[in-house]
Amino acid sequence: MSRPDVDTLLSDFRTDLAAASTPEALEDVRRAHTGKKSPLKLALRSLKDLAPDERKAFAQKVNETQKLVETELADARERVQAQALAAQLQAEWQDLSLPGVGVPRGAIHPVTETEREAMDVLRRLGFEVVEGPEVEGPFYNFDALNIPEHHPARDLQDTFWLNGGLLLRSHTTTVQARILEQKPELPLRVAAMGRVYRNEAVDATHLAMFHQFEGIWVDEGLTFAHLKGVLAYIARALFGEERRVRFKPKFYPYTEPSVGVDVACKVCDGEGCQACHGAGWVTILGAGMIHPKVFMQFGFDPEKVSGIAFGLGTTRMAAQRTGVTRIRGLYEPELRVLRTLQRGQ
Amino acid sequence: MHITLDVLRRFTRLPDDAKATRVLLDEVGIEVKRVDHDAPGVPMTLELLANRGDHHAYNGLATEISGRTGHPVALPEVKPLTVGDSPRELVLDSDLCTVYTLTRLVKKADGQLPAASLDVLASAGLQSIGPVVDATNVAMLELGQPTHAFDAAKVSGAVVLRTARAGEKAWPLFEEGPREIPEGILVVADDEKILAIAGVIGCEESKTTEATVEVLLESAAFDPVSVRKAGRALNIQTDSKARFERGSDFSAPLVGAGRVAHLMEQAGWQVVGTTGQVGAFVDPERTIAFNPEAARTFLDITMDDTELAERLRRYGFKVHDGAGIWDVVVPPHRLWDVEFAADLYEELAKSIGYDNTPIGLPAVDMGAVPSAAERVRFQAEQVLLGHGLYEVITDGFYGRQMPANLGFEEGHPLHAHVETANALDRAYSLLKNNCLAQAVQGVADNLRMNVKQFRAYEFTRTFHPDANAANGLCRERKVLWAAVSGDAQDRTWAGGSRPADAIFLKGIVTELGVQLGLPFTFAPVGDEPGLADALHPGRRLAVELHGQRVGLLGEVHPQVVQAFRIKRARPCYLELDWEALMSPRTSIPYVEPSRLQDVHRSLAFTLPHGIEAGAVARVMTEQGPRWLKSVRMVDLFAHEEEGEPVRTVTYELTYTHDLGERSVDELNAASEALIEAVDQALGGRGVKLR
Repeated sequence: MSRPDVDTLLSDFRTDLAAASTPEALEDVRRAHTGKKSPLKLALRSLKDLAPDERKAFAQKVNETQKLVETELADARERVQAQALAAQLQAEWQDLSLPGVGVPRGAIHPVTETEREAMDVLRRLGFEVVEGPEVEGPFYNFDALNIPEHHPARDLQDTFWLNGGLLLRSHTTTVQARILEQKPELPLRVAAMGRVYRNEAVDATHLAMFHQFEGIWVDEGLTFAHLKGVLAYIARALFGEERRVRFKPKFYPYTEPSVGVDVACKVCDGEGCQACHGAGWVTILGAGMIHPKVFMQFGFDPEKVSGIAFGLGTTRMAAQRTGVTRIRGLYEPELRVLRTLQRGQ
Repeated sequence: MHITLDVLRRFTRLPDDAKATRVLLDEVGIEVKRVDHDAPGVPMTLELLANRGDHHAYNGLATEISGRTGHPVALPEVKPLTVGDSPRELVLDSDLCTVYTLTRLVKKADGQLPAASLDVLASAGLQSIGPVVDATNVAMLELGQPTHAFDAAKVSGAVVLRTARAGEKAWPLFEEGPREIPEGILVVADDEKILAIAGVIGCEESKTTEATVEVLLESAAFDPVSVRKAGRALNIQTDSKARFERGSDFSAPLVGAGRVAHLMEQAGWQVVGTTGQVGAFVDPERTIAFNPEAARTFLDITMDDTELAERLRRYGFKVHDGAGIWDVVVPPHRLWDVEFAADLYEELAKSIGYDNTPIGLPAVDMGAVPSAAERVRFQAEQVLLGHGLYEVITDGFYGRQMPANLGFEEGHPLHAHVETANALDRAYSLLKNNCLAQAVQGVADNLRMNVKQFRAYEFTRTFHPDANAANGLCRERKVLWAAVSGDAQDRTWAGGSRPADAIFLKGIVTELGVQLGLPFTFAPVGDEPGLADALHPGRRLAVELHGQRVGLLGEVHPQVVQAFRIKRARPCYLELDWEALMSPRTSIPYVEPSRLQDVHRSLAFTLPHGIEAGAVARVMTEQGPRWLKSVRMVDLFAHEEEGEPVRTVTYELTYTHDLGERSVDELNAASEALIEAVDQALGGRGVKLR
């Protein structure tokens, strides 16, 4: 029997291999040249028919050729797979300049956000949230808070009157009165927030309804220093540790002494600029020690008990934080405004 | 109030620099709203404390500043007046006036006030009118005591302090003619007419003119509330009223008149005779027990007794200091606002400077956590925000047209509203008893701005007239409402979205129930009149919790949509009782999932118009084997059969192996049984297997 020409087999293999450009074609080549019925396998099987002196040399040649085939097949497999992967990747190109597709989330209102932030700060001091009605009697809105009838302070809070001598609360301090009336255990640390109403002609800066946030801390031994400490803590937590804070006298009928809290203007840091109308400061909080008359009204002895009270206009604060200049827009369900605040567009 | 720094400097020493003066004024509670550094005199606009009438004058401002700086206050020159025979008979016929003085001055020569006094006028933005009026204005600006000059020739007989009679008329200055004066307000009158509304304004018929050669100068102490009520009743706001209604210095009428007399004498006038006076001010010498040790503790300061006393005296307090508790006597001009030791602490704090007292936090035992109600709201918000809804805040009231658009006739439970009695704006006439109107208005407003996707919610309150309510007027109901219109999601390049309709809102309620552990169910609305009447009768549902109605949802009624002038949009609305959201959570027992996969089978049924897909699901759920885990509607195809509209709904049945492994034959038999059950129950109504 004649011996197969191993060199020819290798040559044929290489020709086929060069033509194979896909994994499938490569597999065909592998089967054709290394399978059971491949010429190389047949060549190996023919060894037994060879003369012993030829057998060894021929076997060695066939084995070497077989190794070459396997090596070249492996290399080709690697090459073809790389080519195939490259082709796949190219084919699977996605236009990621397209916007992401998700479920766009809504947003809570800037006023609520401001309330939450303020409450987060107060919780660290042990404050809890309390609520009160919006339709009130003049006792809780005025008289109990040391604002007697015909007092000029009532002018500061033009009131919406309802039938039956009731009114819409003009400040959240009504909740303070209602809580004190319940004679709670001390220390008392509560905060109230919500809608308040003023009977004013509405313009860019005046609203007939807006939001306030109020807190009281009642205990024995609270001092003016404590009042300032609490106010500074709140102011810095809300406006930044580095912001300068100052205290100034104010008048609120239900506190004595009364305090206004200013923070340095963000733009000029207290130097005075157009943004702060030259004042250098922006008032953010009204506060004071609870007035002795308020305590006496509810049966507390102001000689023994003292209290810290403070309030901030959450609407104005939300406007300052967001840059909304037409405050009325915050009270209209105009989604353009809310969406712009959330997403900038 | 308008002042100039140059004039203020005449009364007390100020920093050279206007900026430093501004800081000083802020420190003592006199807020500077505006400074014109370049204008002559350096004008300032001040915002004064509402309870301090004494701040409405240079003298009062200077005293406040002096309390902080310790520099003395310089008072302007005052002509001493002697109380004696009155130039006219004086009759005090009301207790609304404590002191009333009348001084006669006659003109001896033409003249005008000194330039320095005219500066005072100009500092307040007042024009010079003539020496008489100018002198009264200057004295008021300097000392805070309003005065008024009558032309003596126009005063007939006695000058009487009395209350106005029913139907009586007066002719207030600057008005076109006489008008009726409310009965009971304090007036100054002669035998024939009203000369002035006491403390508020003079009258035309007794006013001074260039021809006036003799005046009767009034200087008095009026009851603040009386002045305030009179001004409000007549709708007149004057500088005089602003000072009297905050409480004037009852010891000052003679000083004020003396200052006017001094100024007029420099302008060619002369006081004739003695000053008449009726009434008298007896200083109550209000005494406050002041514990210096308590003051030091309150302010956390170490200031010695001497300095404490000295600082209080700067404000005019008489301090009887010594060991133990002091007696501090309140000066007459501060009787209106100083009553307690706390008031004196405030004076000391101002004197030291609010920024100069120590600062410290009280001890805090531990922080607090959000209440259950807050936590529930936070959780509910996660669902609402996750569905793309924005929180909005709407007014607590609205105008009459808003609820009228809902079409509720008289007798309907939502027809009645709590009304505001004095709203300046008609848009605030009614307290809202529903949120639907504002929600639909919101959709309309957004559509006008071409915002078609409306998704909003609000936690708010409505007000419902109820004579049995605790306040005798109304109940406040806390609600969560949501409204949607347009697509459920923003349109993207990847394709459109399904509409934000009642089904979308139903999905939100379902998710709220999952989040809050509340097993909400849905039921027909029923016939009871209510807010549901403003919803589409074929597209609305009641929301129930444990069999109790806690809300409703649905598409807004087409007529309501039309009333709000909305075109090409179908707003949908959801409302839930806020309190219901606070209900205890229903816990779901945990069942360990089977090791084996669930098996799914799909069945599609064709339903005629009007047959609810839920009815088929109910039949299968009720009649399926215990190991039928769920029946879900996974596809809906609306089409026509034989010219009639029908819907083909695909139900996905999920069988579990939890109760034992099932063979394919068992599963198939179960599905066949369900087909049979649906046919039995609903086949007669046209439901058939697809």
